[in-house]
Amino acid sequence: MNAITPRETQDLNLLPDEEFRQHIRSWIEANYPAEIRNPEKRLHWDENKPWYMKLAEKGWLCPGWPREYGGLGLSPAKQIIWTEELERWGCARTNDHGIVMLGPLVIRYGTEEQKQRFLPKILSGEHVWCQGYSEPNSGSDLASLRTEAVDAGDHYVVNGQKIWTTLAGDANWIFLLVRTDKEAKKQEGISFLLVDMTTPGITVRPIINLEMHDEFSEVFFDNVKVPKENLVGQLNKGWDMAKALLSFERIYLGSPRQSAYALTRLRQLAERMGVAEDPVFAATYAKHRCDLEDLKSLYSRYVAVLKAGRPLGADVSQLKIVQSELFQRITETALEIAGENGALFGPMEGNRNLNPGALYIQARPTTIYGGTSEIQRNIISKNVLELG
Amino acid sequence: MSADPTGLAPFSEDRAESIGMIRDSAQGLLGSDMKRVRALRFTEPGFDPALLRAMGEAGWIGLMVEEAKGGTGLGHAEMVALAEEMGRACAPEPLTALQLSAALLAAAGHELLEQALSGEAIVLTAWQDRAGTLEPAAGDGARRFVPMAAGATHFLFVSGGDLHLLPAADVALETEQRQDGGHFGTVRPKNGLPAPIATGMGEAIATALDRAALGTAAELLGGMEASFAMTLDYLRTRKQFGTVIGKFQALQHKAADARVQLSLARAAVEEAAFELDEGAGGPAIVARAKARASDAAMAVQQASLQLHGGIGYTDEYDQGLHLRRAMVLVPSFGGAALHRARFMALEPETEDA
Repeated sequence: MNAITPRETQDLNLLPDEEFRQHIRSWIEANYPAEIRNPEKRLHWDENKPWYMKLAEKGWLCPGWPREYGGLGLSPAKQIIWTEELERWGCARTNDHGIVMLGPLVIRYGTEEQKQRFLPKILSGEHVWCQGYSEPNSGSDLASLRTEAVDAGDHYVVNGQKIWTTLAGDANWIFLLVRTDKEAKKQEGISFLLVDMTTPGITVRPIINLEMHDEFSEVFFDNVKVPKENLVGQLNKGWDMAKALLSFERIYLGSPRQSAYALTRLRQLAERMGVAEDPVFAATYAKHRCDLEDLKSLYSRYVAVLKAGRPLGADVSQLKIVQSELFQRITETALEIAGENGALFGPMEGNRNLNPGALYIQARPTTIYGGTSEIQRNIISKNVLELG
Repeated sequence: MSADPTGLAPFSEDRAESIGMIRDSAQGLLGSDMKRVRALRFTEPGFDPALLRAMGEAGWIGLMVEEAKGGTGLGHAEMVALAEEMGRACAPEPLTALQLSAALLAAAGHELLEQALSGEAIVLTAWQDRAGTLEPAAGDGARRFVPMAAGATHFLFVSGGDLHLLPAADVALETEQRQDGGHFGTVRPKNGLPAPIATGMGEAIATALDRAALGTAAELLGGMEASFAMTLDYLRTRKQFGTVIGKFQALQHKAADARVQLSLARAAVEEAAFELDEGAGGPAIVARAKARASDAAMAVQQASLQLHGGIGYTDEYDQGLHLRRAMVLVPSFGGAALHRARFMALEPETEDA
């Protein structure tokens, strides 16, 4: 194969951790667009593209990919520092499904031809990917999905509907879990398919969420022709492949950053509302703060597993429960002390740091997406505690 | 049983071996027979002095006392591992209290240390004059809530920053039974206080109390593990409505929540020990660990009782031993609210956004 030339010629793994941290920190601070620090909402492609392209030019877009595919090939320990620094500076998530989900999957399961065809276009920003997994009748029970791909000789014909597709309107490619065998056990009849969003028969309909934001969409497939070479991995093995990549999501969703951010906002709000010294508030606040610090302690243990290069077990589900439920409790306290200000759609007194209503709404879906709290408890019960 | 049940990396790989040895030694000495624990309840002194001497021989009482002074010279990581095993076994021997006294005798450079380390002398520290405090009392009035005081040979009487050593014969002792079948003593010097064995010990006392708070947090952790293990066994075997009750989602989710609390408590306690051993931690991280362990213990013990149903409410069933021990350990060396308030006072907040 023709190697993909990385723009970053230095092997950053060779830097000592602290030097590496300072190195990327100063670059992030110098290059991150100030106007999109700590965004309240998930940004669209037109908003985050300048940052995406800066990372791409620097060669730092895909820290986790191996160097021969244009990534930085960072060790797990360095990748964690990378993420910490992005979070520290309040950097927005880009349209990163190609970077964090599809790229690693193609690298692991794709053919050489697929790697050459798709990876450079993620690195250049030419292909913006979205993820087509959930369906109207297959949410928590994802394996029951029914969007089907029927073999029509040299291509598949796809029919069905996906939902909760993040930033689908921005994307020109979508990766899909599709049913390719209706007779098999539900997990064993699913394949992984790459689809050009400009193919005739695809319709994207945005969904407006409680933030009044069109982050999600429905995506409809009506007799969409997909070339056979767009199948990744073996036919009917899509479920296992997709599942193998979920541990990233589970630790990412357990990161303390949302709760830490919300607690800072709560403190600022309490000062403005004049309740910071109120003993009832102080006791509640102390609980939130200790909960946050304990979450950080627990999180650091999973990070240590990653740093040691070991896989995360099902156990990591508990991080997401703790994080998302704490985030919600903090925003509930904010709403309570805000009084009528909590009913405002926008920030109070024109101060974007004082936005209790929006913060409360923002915290609502965290116990739903990425596997609901109830599903996470099922995972712990079944896979960790071995109950039924 | 000695492995970290979360399956996560220990904080410090190079300590894993000595921590493992401590756990093995503890399990060997303490066993898992609850008959022993039951037999000692509501008796005086309420613990086994011979076992205490064995603990002394094993180096447990002086676990953190430096080797030059006759101690074992180990760190906080080993201390919390041992305390966790004490909690798991529901042992009534007041090891944390004896370690506290050993630390103070060592700091004072007093000759009784040797006998205290061997378990020959049973020295208990009488430092508080009221409930719900970590503040050493001043004056020569009554000292309260001294654990298992009826078995003491000596009392180390704290008055402000001064330490006074009193043979048991020189104090008037009243005891009150505790929920777990042990007792608290109220200690009054019969003839006033003798000359102090050391003065200006305020810092040493504060450090020792902090360490005892962390040990108590670890003991709570062990009790949680024991109760939760019993609960999981029960959920996997007890049948109702034609199936094992562990199949019911309402019960599964309660168990999952208990597990989350356990994991948080373990993370907080072990991180505190690790940070202290690294020289990076102080009272704030201990306060957070004791707060979490206290709240988590009450939540896990209550959930365990509820998940057992009626059998959990019988004295015959061992889970109740852990629940009632938790009722003793939760307020000891400061409960959750006290430690959260301390944490907030000790740890300034950083602006992260």
